[in-house]
Amino acid sequence: MSAEPGPPLPQPITSVKSPFRMDYTYVAGAGRSVFLRGLAERKLLARRCPGCSQVYLPPPEFCSRCLTELEAPFELDGRGTIATFCVVSFPFPGQTIEAPYVVAHIHHHGADTRLMHLIGDVAPDEVRIGMEVEPVWVGEDQLTTSMTSIRHYRPTGVAIGSESTRA
Amino acid sequence: MTSLSAPYTVEFPFDRTVGPKVGTFLAGLREARLFGVRAPGGRVLCPAVEFDPETAEETGELVELAGEGTVVSWTWVSTREGDPLPHDFAWALVAIDGTDGSFFHAVDVGGDPGRMSTGMRVRVRWREVRVGEIGDIGCFEPVPV
Ligand SMILES: [Zn+2]
Repeated sequence: MSAEPGPPLPQPITSVKSPFRMDYTYVAGAGRSVFLRGLAERKLLARRCPGCSQVYLPPPEFCSRCLTELEAPFELDGRGTIATFCVVSFPFPGQTIEAPYVVAHIHHHGADTRLMHLIGDVAPDEVRIGMEVEPVWVGEDQLTTSMTSIRHYRPTGVAIGSESTRA
Repeated sequence: MTSLSAPYTVEFPFDRTVGPKVGTFLAGLREARLFGVRAPGGRVLCPAVEFDPETAEETGELVELAGEGTVVSWTWVSTREGDPLPHDFAWALVAIDGTDGSFFHAVDVGGDPGRMSTGMRVRVRWREVRVGEIGDIGCFEPVPV
């Protein structure tokens, strides 16, 4: 290039749009599909490991601790306790629920694993670890093979107290 | 029993902040001007970077370039959604005249891979609407002989 002075340098810009998008196909697999098909019938289907007795909700096909194939699914009544929770107060792009709202890990009675869902019908500042909750299902016409078949969990009004954590 | 499946899209609307050298490089694209940046030892890098990848030293002055170069390597691809061209094209490394190293971008030869060759001369084809991002260079195209 010539060394002659050219036109002045442009004023630097400070930021560029850099969107990131990845289109996937989620494949549930045999085990998760059993659980999801249960949701479309208002059923919470758990499965037990014959090797180590761990009860999974939601259940995969094989035990993540000992890799044994899980036993036949059986239904839980849906009640459980809040193992931990988070009040989401911060808006973010793509958010579908108006903040503030509560997301919790729910430890269902009869299961050894925890399931994440929304807590509703209660003010966020009244949610407590150990609170007993039950599922609120959507209407018949909205039931589908998805977690959205449960609108949220709500307190049963029964105080259970703080549960001990599991290994 | 067959497995259920469903579409699943992960999307983040990031804004990326840029430093002064990259910011000037991008502002140049908006004006249909191509800049490199001076690195230690007199080398010129394009696209511009804030720090020299070889010595990690801060880069120096911006250097305006003519926007022509030579294809040093390329690979032919079928066009996909989001690609810079609506027909098949080459992704290429272009050694821009007056710079060291190469610049990665698309080369448009009208969908005919027979017109691609290493050593061919190409030039920048600017987008009509430019906003100050790398896509302001729509692609490279062969320099008419
Ligand atoms: Zn097991």
